[in-house]
Order: sequence, then C-alpha cells, then structure tokens
Amino acid sequence: MNTKSKKRFAFTLCMLLIVSAIVGCSNSGNKAEPSNTANGNAAASNEENPYKEKYDPPVTISTAWGVDPALTFREGETIENNVATKWALDTLGIKVDSLWSVTDTNGAFATKMRLAMSSGQKMPDIAVVNDKLLAQDLIDSGMFQDAGALFDKYAGEKWKEAMNLDPGVWNAYVNDGKRMGIPLLDYAYNSDYLLWIRQDWLDKLNLQAPKTIAELEAVMEAFKNNNPQGLAPDKVVPLSVGFKTSMSTWMGDPSWVFGAYGTLPSQWNLAADGTLEYGSTNAGIKQGLIKLKEWRDKGYIPQEAALWDENKTSEPAVAGTAGIIPGPYWMSGWPLLDTAKNVEGAVWKPYAIPTGEDGTAMRHGTHFVNGVILINKDMKNPEAFFTYENYLFDNLADPQEGSPFELGAFEGYDYALDASGNPLYLDDVPGGAITAPLRYFIVRDGARIPDAQFKALLNLAEGKEATTYREKEVVAQYGPETALAATVVMQQEDISKKDMFVGPSTKTMKSRMDYLKKIEAQTFNEIIYGAKPAEAFDEFVKSWKSSGGDDITKEVNEWYSNVAK
Amino acid sequence: MPQQQTLQPDDTSGTVVKLKGKPLFYYLIKQWPFHLMVLPSLVFLIIFAYLPMGGLVMAFQDYKPWLGLTGSEWVGFDQFRYLFEREDSLQVIWNTLIIAIFKMVLNLFAPFVFAILLNEIRKQLVKRFVQTLVYLPHFLSWVILGGILTDLLSTEGGLVNRLLTGVFGIQPIFFLGNGDWFRFTVILSDVWKEFGFGTVVFLAALANVNPSLYEAAEVDGASRWKQTLHITVPSMIPIAIVVGTLALGNVLNAGFDQIFNLYNSLVYAKGDIIDTFVYRTAILNGEMGFGTAIGLFKSVISFILVVISYRLAYKLANYRIF
Repeated sequence: MNTKSKKRFAFTLCMLLIVSAIVGCSNSGNKAEPSNTANGNAAASNEENPYKEKYDPPVTISTAWGVDPALTFREGETIENNVATKWALDTLGIKVDSLWSVTDTNGAFATKMRLAMSSGQKMPDIAVVNDKLLAQDLIDSGMFQDAGALFDKYAGEKWKEAMNLDPGVWNAYVNDGKRMGIPLLDYAYNSDYLLWIRQDWLDKLNLQAPKTIAELEAVMEAFKNNNPQGLAPDKVVPLSVGFKTSMSTWMGDPSWVFGAYGTLPSQWNLAADGTLEYGSTNAGIKQGLIKLKEWRDKGYIPQEAALWDENKTSEPAVAGTAGIIPGPYWMSGWPLLDTAKNVEGAVWKPYAIPTGEDGTAMRHGTHFVNGVILINKDMKNPEAFFTYENYLFDNLADPQEGSPFELGAFEGYDYALDASGNPLYLDDVPGGAITAPLRYFIVRDGARIPDAQFKALLNLAEGKEATTYREKEVVAQYGPETALAATVVMQQEDISKKDMFVGPSTKTMKSRMDYLKKIEAQTFNEIIYGAKPAEAFDEFVKSWKSSGGDDITKEVNEWYSNVAK
Repeated sequence: MPQQQTLQPDDTSGTVVKLKGKPLFYYLIKQWPFHLMVLPSLVFLIIFAYLPMGGLVMAFQDYKPWLGLTGSEWVGFDQFRYLFEREDSLQVIWNTLIIAIFKMVLNLFAPFVFAILLNEIRKQLVKRFVQTLVYLPHFLSWVILGGILTDLLSTEGGLVNRLLTGVFGIQPIFFLGNGDWFRFTVILSDVWKEFGFGTVVFLAALANVNPSLYEAAEVDGASRWKQTLHITVPSMIPIAIVVGTLALGNVLNAGFDQIFNLYNSLVYAKGDIIDTFVYRTAILNGEMGFGTAIGLFKSVISFILVVISYRLAYKLANYRIF
C-alpha cells in the first residue's frame, strides 16, 4: 500500500465508524406504528355504536405496569403476556399492549412514569396510578381526557352502582369541573383497624379484653411482667407499634392512642366549628405523646419504635412475643396466621379500639379509593376499556353462580379443579397457587365493589353458609377470625374518621409540607424518647403555624368549602 | 489530492517551533485521519455529557415536564433562595459537611495505613486473603447493610449492645436513635465498607516502588521502620494526593443510600443531609427545578474545591494530576 491508498483506507474506515455510530443512535427513535390498519377498520364502524361486547378485529389498549415484587408468574409468562392478556384477547377481542413495565419497589413506577412524561415518551392509553402527586401532575399535563364523561357514557350498571356508594370519590380528581380520572375503587374498611390481642394469653391470665386505655395498661403490664408464655419481661413486646414512617399508618399503628384524646395525627379532621384542622396540631396530641412516652419508659411498646416500620411491627407478633398489635381486619390471614406455627396454641382475636376516660375514641378511616385510572386523550378506542372493565365488574367483582369467575380468577393459577370438579386452593394447586392473578388485569385487582367484601364477611359472621364466590373466598383464603374482625370494625363505625382533605396539593403544601412534616416527626419522637419535655409540643404548634401551616390551613379550607357545597 | 502533496515535506518532523508559524488548522488538515478517528468519541461526549448540561436551565425555572424546557416559567434564583430560606437548610448543609469530611479523611487515612501494614506481610496467601476479605463489603448494597446494621446495633438484643453490656458493663447505646452516635455509626460503617477498596489502590502504588530503593537503604543500614518512613510513605504520597483530590469533589455527598437506609426522625437534627432533603422535597414531590438547583449548587462547590486542591497539590507537592 502506498501512502495515498493508506490514507484512502483510513478515510473509509473513519467514515464507516461515524456512519455506523449515527445509524446506531438514530435507529431507536422512530419506529413506525404497525397497528394503523387494524384501528382504521374499527374507526369506520365507530360512528354507530363503538361500544361492543367483543371486538372483531381486535382493538388495542396500551398500558404501563408497575409490577408488585411479590407477584409471581407461571413459567414463561410475564406481565406483558400471560393468562389475563390471553383472556382479554379471546373473550373480548382486546389486545393489551404493554409500553413498559417496571418492578415497583421504592416508587419505581411513579419515577419511571415521571421520566416518561418529561422525556416526551408515548403515554399509555390507560394509566393506573396510585401516587397522588403523580396523578395530579399527569392530569395537569393535559395528556389525559375527561374520564367522567366517558364513564357516564359507557360504564355498566354494576360499576356505576359501586361508584355511587360515595359520590365523594371523584373529588380528588376534579379539575375545572371535569372529572379527569376514574377513581380506582377498593374494599371499604381495608385500613380501618382494631386491636389484635393474644386470646390465649388473656385466658391464661384470666383477664378481660381491655375497653379503655386504663384497662389496656393493666393488660400490657400483665403481659410483660407475668407473661403466660413464660417469656422474660424484656423479651415481651406487649404492644407492637412503630413510628418510622408516620404516626398514622396501616399496621402497628399508634394513632388511636391520640384518638382517645380526641384527635388523629397526620390527617385533616373536621373541627367543632365545621372547618378542617390538621390533626397533628390539636392539643390532644400532647396527652397522647405523654402517654406513649410513659409506655415506652415502662417497656410496653418497643424501645426502638422510632426505627420500626409496619412490617417490623409484625415480626414480634408472628414470632409470638408480642401481645397486642393494632391493624386491619384482614391481618388474621396475613401475617398473624403464621404465629401458631411458631408458638403452639397461639390465638389472635380482634377487639375494639379502647376508649379514653371520657369514652372518646377515634381511628383513621379508609377512603375506598386506591388510586386513579387515567384515559389518554389520544386513545383510539376508549370504549374498549369500558368493555374490559364492565365485564370484570359484572362477572368478577362479586361473581354469582354461573359466572366464568365463579371459582376464582384463572384455573391453574389461583385455583385448580380436582378429578371430581371440586376447586382446590392455595398449596393444593399443582405447582403452588399464584396468589394474586388479579394483578394481571390492566386495573389492579380487576374490579372491586367497596362493600362486597364486608357484606360477605358480615353474612358469614352471622353464621350463614358461604354460597357466593366472595364468601367462599374469604373462608378459603383469609384467616379464621376475619369475619369476626369485620363485625368488630362495624361496631365502631362511628369512630372511623377519614382524612377530609383529598384534593391536589396546595401551593404552600408543595413548598412547605416537607419541612412541617419533618419538625412534626422530630418533635413527636423526641418527646416520646424524652429528649425534649412535653412542652416542646406547644412550640412545635407555634412554629408549625408560622412556618406555613396557617397558609396551608387556609388553602385547605378554601378547597373544602368548594367541595362541601 | 494535490493539497496534501504540497504539505507532504513537513511531515512528522513538525515541532512546536514550526507550529507557531502555521495557520490554525494546519495540523488539523495535515493529520486529518487521526482527528477523524477522535470524532466518534467527541460526538459521544457532546451528546451524553455536554448537551444534557442544557438541562441546567431547569434550576432557574418552575419546571413542568409537559411544558418542557422552553415552555416552563422562569423564576430566576427562586429555587436557590428557597434552598437557603428553609429554617433547617443551614443545619442540613452543616450535617452534610461534617459527615462527608470525616468520611473523606478517614477513607484516605485508613486504607493508607492498612496498605502499608498489609504490604509487610510476607505470606502472599495471607495477604491476598485479607485483601479480598476487606474488599468484599464494598460490593454490598446499603439496603442490605442497613438492615444488618439495624439488627446488629439494636438496643434490644443487638449483638453490639450485648457485647457492650456483657463484657464492658456499659448501658446499651441507642446508636441509630441518638444524633451524635448516629453520625459516629454512619462514618465508621462507611469507612469499614470502603477502606478495602482504597487499600487496593494503594497496594497498586506500593507494587510500583522501585525495589532498588529498598536495597540501597538496606545497604545504608536503614531499619524496616526507617525504610517505611523514608521510602514507602513518600512514594505513596502522589497517589494519596490524587485520591484525596478526587474525593474532594464529593465533599457535599455524604452518601445518600447509606443515610436513607439508616436514618429516622429521631436523628433528623444531626443526620439529615442535602441528598435526603432533596429526595423528600424534590423527588417525592416532583419538583425537578428545585432538585436541579441543588445539584448545580453542589457541582459548583465541588468544582471550586477540586480546582483549589489541584492547584495546592501542584504548588506544595509539585505534583500534577492531569
């Protein structure tokens, strides 16, 4: 090779490199949309009545998934392609197209959604979001359409009935008078709680279940220092609670202690004058904190409660070293069912929240909205989504005899049939049951009618035989005391107080709420741990108000007076 | 290509002297194949390192993802003002500095000493074994270590506290619930996790020391200690300066994942750092503008510190990194 051809060679090589680099970079950017023709056909017949029971040719609904890390799959199946997507295509002629999926730990779904939004990626036709702030941002982005209008037009009777149980469910997603998202309904009372107490301990000590805070203290004292299981006092956790995430949470929750003094922390309560008040600044909190400090000093609650999150509080309960744990009615199934495996003869029974001296008691209530369904503005066949969801509401939400979901969601997944056609559940299913195939549906858990579960439970508690699927399900899959717990929850229905503010974050909330929450958590914990005297609470209230709390209260009440009308 | 032919005579003998007399693009034209070969990496750098810097304008905007960089409202220095107006911002910056500086100094000093000690071990097998053992924690994530530490340091039956009460008769210490102990725990556990990694770097430096220096010293009758003091340590100083200078860029990074997995509201006053603060205010609330502003603030401070330490290293130790 002479110099000249060497140079030529070098030049060609360089050009090749550059070209390949450019091609490599640009390739991923503009893929053609392949589904145009199929949609064109559907659009032609759209004019008369687009809503159909089954679509032929199939239509597409695109969505994005936040996959619960605990969700399991049969070999070869994924969230994008599984029994539920096949079911949708075969039964309804709806193709579920997954834009992306992510294992939803530490809010990964919300993060990915935000990134997709900021980088201008294609938004899914149907977005199911339970992060309130993200939902508000998505609504504000203007990429989603007036879902309320579509709901009125296409939603089936069952779904509408379920929604009408509380018309207030729409409030959180109303923008300029338009209902921008369909509230995702969940079972009522799901996080209303009661006290789970070790009945075998009570029996051995010959004690009655506590009805007041004072009686509760006597029980805790006996559990600790006169333990019927023979545990040393420092090994017992009489009352398993934790404050790591908040003073108001879903398991091992301490907020009812404040309830005995007439307030609930970390939520907006209706004050005597009809306005909304932030519970954590109510004077009742101070007494609650003093009580919790006393309990910690006496060793009734875990020494490291400030480091304990919800799951941690269930550990001593399951290990059999805790006497009482506050939590929802369903805890009889998970996690408390396992206690008997660790300690022979351990029995948990549900009891009502104890009252204060004057008979006051409060517990935080459950909104039966667990997120929102957003419908993309550019969705070609929004009615298809209603076909999908109506079907689930009609057949799955409260399946009667003859429904395709009579025995469970999918055969070979959450149930199996034995030789004589009887359903098998849980460990009896060959290859082990998939615990939640309902999570395979576009809308998390398929379809839930808020009062269905409780109706079933109350029927069972009355001693009725389980007839419907829902009733059989709670018998088969929930713990033994679930029905009893449901009646306990219902007995105290009047003390259940929901967070009254469900609107979008206000302006001052966005800029100040983190600081306010920080000083709240810090002050409360420092008082309980004795790092500061109880009087520090008064200072906290003062600085809470002056550091933006007053403005937030004003904004919240403005919102409230608008929806209350 | 006639042009190239005329350039040919200068060829490779082109020196600095010649460069002065030549037009700006002379060598660009003359050595064009080489420049062309650099181009892909240059393009790569521009696309992935320089263009994204444009996003920094977010720091001066009330950024809304759906409005984009061009449509979002300009707010000037509001985001920065907000950072310093918060009642606890000074405390947070202070916490960050204290934790980060202690970590930085100890993470320089501990591996330095450990590498020298390890280097004295004659048995290669033992040396390698220890080296691997101390290097291992580096690969563990703080999510796992956080859980392990919480259990180890528990006041109720945690191994460490049982040891303290059982052997030394001390009252249990609430390591993760007391602000001062929290800082101590955070710094110590970080040094424990990372010093193995630093040791590897220093050991590499030690392997490069010319053996003839030691031979000469031995001939001169220098003891092992004197050899260490006058040969080993000085030959490690340059690499220590490099490591130290690079670490200075992290002076405002006190370690997000570690603190995030260990902290709780009891230790906010002494353990809340800039990154956890950003996580709560910016990430959780989707305030991208604010997050960017703090990121920019941190980068500027780090940049200044790196430049200063670079100059100092040159002036005092006559050592250039780049």
